[in-house]
Amino acid sequence: MPPEPSESHFADGVLAKSSRRGFLEWAGAALIGLAGSREVARLMLPDEADAYTNFCGHTYTTGNCPHPTGLPRVDRNDYPLRASDGQPVDDLGRPINSQGDPINSHGEVLREPDGEPVPPAPRSKVCRAAGKDHHLKLEIEGSWYRCCGGRVRRLMDCCGFTSVRINGDAALTGYCYGGRNVFCVQYYETNVPC
Amino acid sequence: MAGALTALAAGLTGAWSPCGFSMVDTIGTALGDVRSPVRRIACWTFALGCLCGGAATFLGLAELGRLLIPGDAGTREAVGATIALAAAVADWRGLKIAPQIRRQVPESWRWRMPLALACALYGVLLGLGFTTFVLAFATWALAGVSFASASPLTGLSIGLAFGLGRALPILWIAPRLGDGETEGARLMDGMAREPRLWLGLRRVDALGLGLCAVLMSGAAAAGAAVLPSASEPALPSATDPSAGGGALVWQEVGGTGMLLAGSGPARALPGSDPALGPSTVAWEGNGEITIASPVSLAVSATLPASGVTALAVSEGWVVYRQLEAKGRESLIAVSLLTAQPPRQIAGPLPAGDIGRPSLDGSAVVFTTDTTGESAIELVHLPSGHSRTLRAGNRGILYENPSLLDGEVAYERVTRCAQELRIASAREKTSGRLLLELPSTVTRDTGYEEAYEHAYNMGSVCPNRAPGPGSKLSLGPLALSGTTVYLTEVPRGEGPAAARIVTVAR
Repeated sequence: MPPEPSESHFADGVLAKSSRRGFLEWAGAALIGLAGSREVARLMLPDEADAYTNFCGHTYTTGNCPHPTGLPRVDRNDYPLRASDGQPVDDLGRPINSQGDPINSHGEVLREPDGEPVPPAPRSKVCRAAGKDHHLKLEIEGSWYRCCGGRVRRLMDCCGFTSVRINGDAALTGYCYGGRNVFCVQYYETNVPC
Repeated sequence: MAGALTALAAGLTGAWSPCGFSMVDTIGTALGDVRSPVRRIACWTFALGCLCGGAATFLGLAELGRLLIPGDAGTREAVGATIALAAAVADWRGLKIAPQIRRQVPESWRWRMPLALACALYGVLLGLGFTTFVLAFATWALAGVSFASASPLTGLSIGLAFGLGRALPILWIAPRLGDGETEGARLMDGMAREPRLWLGLRRVDALGLGLCAVLMSGAAAAGAAVLPSASEPALPSATDPSAGGGALVWQEVGGTGMLLAGSGPARALPGSDPALGPSTVAWEGNGEITIASPVSLAVSATLPASGVTALAVSEGWVVYRQLEAKGRESLIAVSLLTAQPPRQIAGPLPAGDIGRPSLDGSAVVFTTDTTGESAIELVHLPSGHSRTLRAGNRGILYENPSLLDGEVAYERVTRCAQELRIASAREKTSGRLLLELPSTVTRDTGYEEAYEHAYNMGSVCPNRAPGPGSKLSLGPLALSGTTVYLTEVPRGEGPAAARIVTVAR
């Protein structure tokens, strides 16, 4: 599918030409505030939570990176975690221990009916795997942090030299550098309270 | 093999047909001695055409059978045996062929086309078997056997043998058929004057068909004993199946190996981790591997081996997985025909990383699954040459390959699905999908509650909904000629709930 012109998703197009929503909010508020009323500005700009897509902290419409269990939660090294509890999972979405062996809810290694341990599966970095699946060289380049659910969340853009994002339409600059664009998004949950 | 030999004889019988005689004459005499190179080329193009025609007919029938009568292998074998037996009786008694096809190849081709091309096309028509006169009931019966077998390999071998049989008399006689009283002319005359030769060949056909009927009857009896209707649990509390020679063995969960051969009840084996070859059964126990007859359980060999966790056997090889120090496992191959020492072909790797081996002749397949890569490996044991049949380093797990006659059945698991596939072991194609289940893992919606979720396309599985996955996971399997014996493991019910079911190939 050819890339959809960025003008066709207006909000993302604006973003692509400037910086991120934080700047827009600030600039918009400043302009309207200059016009006379900070209160009016607050009313006109959407609430932070309402503007997020898919998960808290993610602004605009770029889709999630493919992830073994759905929501694109990763660890600090970009390996997949189960979003609900932060449990490390392999590429099949099975909870695993530190050796990569699939485990049950009690942390015991899963076994076949004959007693043999269930074989491990590959565990891939989510961003790079998304790139390989789409024949792109992708990597994490830039991030933004927001407060979500009482903890600081790092919103990570998976970037590459691509004009198309995972949605199938035109890719945006987002937090990417050097001419790269955002292909898909993911997040890392810090332990920092907010 | 019996089918192919019968097909060869049936093809030879076809030399007595009007077209068979015409071919010898067309190739042997039309151009005279001065153009013998042309004649030789025509012979070979004719032979090639015969092989192609035979393969097309009988392979096509086998494929048709596979499409139209999936599932019950016992019934297939019984139908095939009945057809073969009826035709054997008819050919032995020399009954008049019915139905007969009273057609011949187009005579005009020999004038209108270059001889080599015309002969190639003539060969195709004769190889097809049913476009011209049929000279033995065996031809009809082999068509039925191919259809009933639903095995492409059987169909192909019958077709090639039939084509070869049709070509051989022409390859033999035509080059010797010159002007005058030649050797070829005498052979032709002998054929023409002595129909007893033809009747004798029909009796050879009958013997071959009789052998086919016996073999298929045995397989039908063995198959009928273990093949319930599709997706019904065949064997409760069972895992690790192995099939061969019309029999089936498996590991009873928490018990010993079990053997089901012929129409009798299942028998407990005096060991565990059983495996079957074409005519041998093997099991492990008391620090040794025992190899025996699946019929009498008479022991033919024992091998010292401790810590065996999986086993495979063929006529010439035993391959076993051995638990070693520090929880690591290796795959060991032992030749039953030579005095070579045991050879390590994979490992050592952490337990669980090397899958169950499956042997077919001197080729073994197994998986190596690590956190970096999942792969199906094939090792040719005499040479030690290895080849990766399938491999993936992200998002995929290959499990439980089983090899038979150049085809490999295996499981392919992703975050979304569990697939049972069968494919050629010679090519890296994805093969055919035999069974698909949703993955077993619990998946979320791909968005957090109360947030916009129009852009979570990367987080969804097209084949399943969010939430808990399939209650069944696919386990070890065994490939037979017509069936895949598959272990199903219900989630959360304990290992004793594992059962073996059958899936049509």
